[in-house]
Amino acid sequence: MPFIDARDLPGDSEIVADLIVIGGGLAGLALARQWAGSRRSVAVLESGGKAFDPATQDLYRGEGSMRGPGGEARPFGDYVHQSRRRMLGGSGMVWGGKCVALDPADFAQRGWVPGSGWPVSRAQMQPYYDRASDLLEIPRFPAGETDLEIEGRPALVIDGRRRFFSAARHYSKLSGGVDRARYDRWRFAPAEAANITVYLNANVTELKLRADRQGLERLDVATLEGRRHTARGQTYVLATGGIENARLLLASNSVAKAGVGNDADLVGRHFQGHSVFLVNDLARGRATSAYFSAGGNPLRLYTDGVRGLSHCVFAPTLAGQRGRRAGNATITLVPPPSKGPPDPERQALEQLADRLDGGGGAGEVGCFFMTEHMPNPESRVTLGGASDALGLPRVKLEWVWSEADFRSLESTVAAFGRALGEAGLGRLSFPADRSAFLAMAAGSSSRHHMGTTRMHRDPAKGVVDEHGRVHGVSNLYVAGSSVFPTSGIGNPTLTLLAMTMRLSDHLKTRMKEAA
Amino acid sequence: MDRRTVLMALASLAAGAAAPAAALPQIDPEGARRIGQAYLDAHPGRRLEAGRLQADLLADGWTPEAAARLRTRVAADFRAGRLFVHRGWWLSDTEGRLFALAALTPG
Repeated sequence: MPFIDARDLPGDSEIVADLIVIGGGLAGLALARQWAGSRRSVAVLESGGKAFDPATQDLYRGEGSMRGPGGEARPFGDYVHQSRRRMLGGSGMVWGGKCVALDPADFAQRGWVPGSGWPVSRAQMQPYYDRASDLLEIPRFPAGETDLEIEGRPALVIDGRRRFFSAARHYSKLSGGVDRARYDRWRFAPAEAANITVYLNANVTELKLRADRQGLERLDVATLEGRRHTARGQTYVLATGGIENARLLLASNSVAKAGVGNDADLVGRHFQGHSVFLVNDLARGRATSAYFSAGGNPLRLYTDGVRGLSHCVFAPTLAGQRGRRAGNATITLVPPPSKGPPDPERQALEQLADRLDGGGGAGEVGCFFMTEHMPNPESRVTLGGASDALGLPRVKLEWVWSEADFRSLESTVAAFGRALGEAGLGRLSFPADRSAFLAMAAGSSSRHHMGTTRMHRDPAKGVVDEHGRVHGVSNLYVAGSSVFPTSGIGNPTLTLLAMTMRLSDHLKTRMKEAA
Repeated sequence: MDRRTVLMALASLAAGAAAPAAALPQIDPEGARRIGQAYLDAHPGRRLEAGRLQADLLADGWTPEAAARLRTRVAADFRAGRLFVHRGWWLSDTEGRLFALAALTPG
């Protein structure tokens, strides 16, 4: 069906479809595409239009802060506005295209990581990862902790894969940030299906519960120009992103005061994000870097990521994490940092490493660390005091790093440095201590928003069940990275698309049974 | 043994003591001295003297076996967590002691 602009609909129009998808970003559009050509009618309600509109984007403004375990907080207000995109195609419009399958460890119940464990294993996710990889036109990921040789570039085995392995990363061109024309074709395609209608400039302002609170009765829809509409469906899927999903559930409080699906006070909690930890102070000879003294390996498999090529990062195995009671992490290698002033000490220690390890290595490379942001109920999205142009409370994000997060980072740095040295492969430099971690994190945060509607079979421990259905609400599902119980270190797009495929399959079965 | 000899001997480890040390790239003497001094400063309680260190690290002198023995010892240090972290660099304690030997040896 052609696109329909909600601003052009007569006031108080009622949109009716079997399946209503709230949000036309990567997750919402991918879900809709799964239903193209089916006998079910599908409506996608997208807040924005095809083009970027500052007034629509302004609906994302809010408050923000980042806090460390010592209690020190840093203002982080722009992040909630700048780190996402409110338009057809969503944050896929600015996505860099990096694709990662979460590690088996990320899905595992890890006794030393509170709140860990997905109701689905990495192996069970494999067919969905394959479908998501096909959608994104990238190579499929293997299921295990597997060192890969990619396009003739061999992996460097550090310690027999006992504690670290090489985890693959691929780049998709299906991204507005990489290939706008290709992404435009993809984001416009759902509207070409006869059974799918995409409504633009259609802001959902409330998920209206029935009086019995057991299901949604309708959606309230508004345009910035003041038009009001409603939407009714058999099944609803909330797919507005890792921050907005929580905001809309919390703000939908006219029937249940705590919001929809929030009986256990979990909506918005356990926000998880990813930050880069690095030092690059070349003038003072301080940079996170590694010197590879031996191994005869040119390391291109690791440093080619900056050129947009498939590459690998080093990641701790599940056994390695267990041994240190630490979370997941990655060490990403980049081409050598620019040369600073002469540094005799660096020269000497690299020369001695050469002699001890046998020499013949790749030399110096830059590197940075990322550490898992573990589930933490105090790290959360809530409603702020101000309201947006539609009258909805603006969002408030409190991104909190815990003692366990920073301890895990320190542990990973030490373990990687020791593993390189023990293997006689090289030496690691990480010239920073914990006092610098919060500033590093705040200065290099990714656009990954996860965990705010976490998935768990137990309604006391999760917002959605193992299928993505909101606990206690029979016809409302959530798609996107907000359902991730843990976040690993992977760019979430591939996993959220894989989870969307899984959700779509479930809905097809369920709605077929209902028919 | 003077510092230059120590450093040339260290530099010769890769090929064994029989190799002509002068033909191999040297270890930066000033850098080695600074790291060694930092190691000494970080361990004020230890009795770190050139003779003791040489006896500890190179009991049989500069022999071809010294390289293999030192490599094994360095790996064991990393495995056991006997570390010397200098300006963010994660080094083994043995490397710190080798640099300390260089620092204590007259230049």
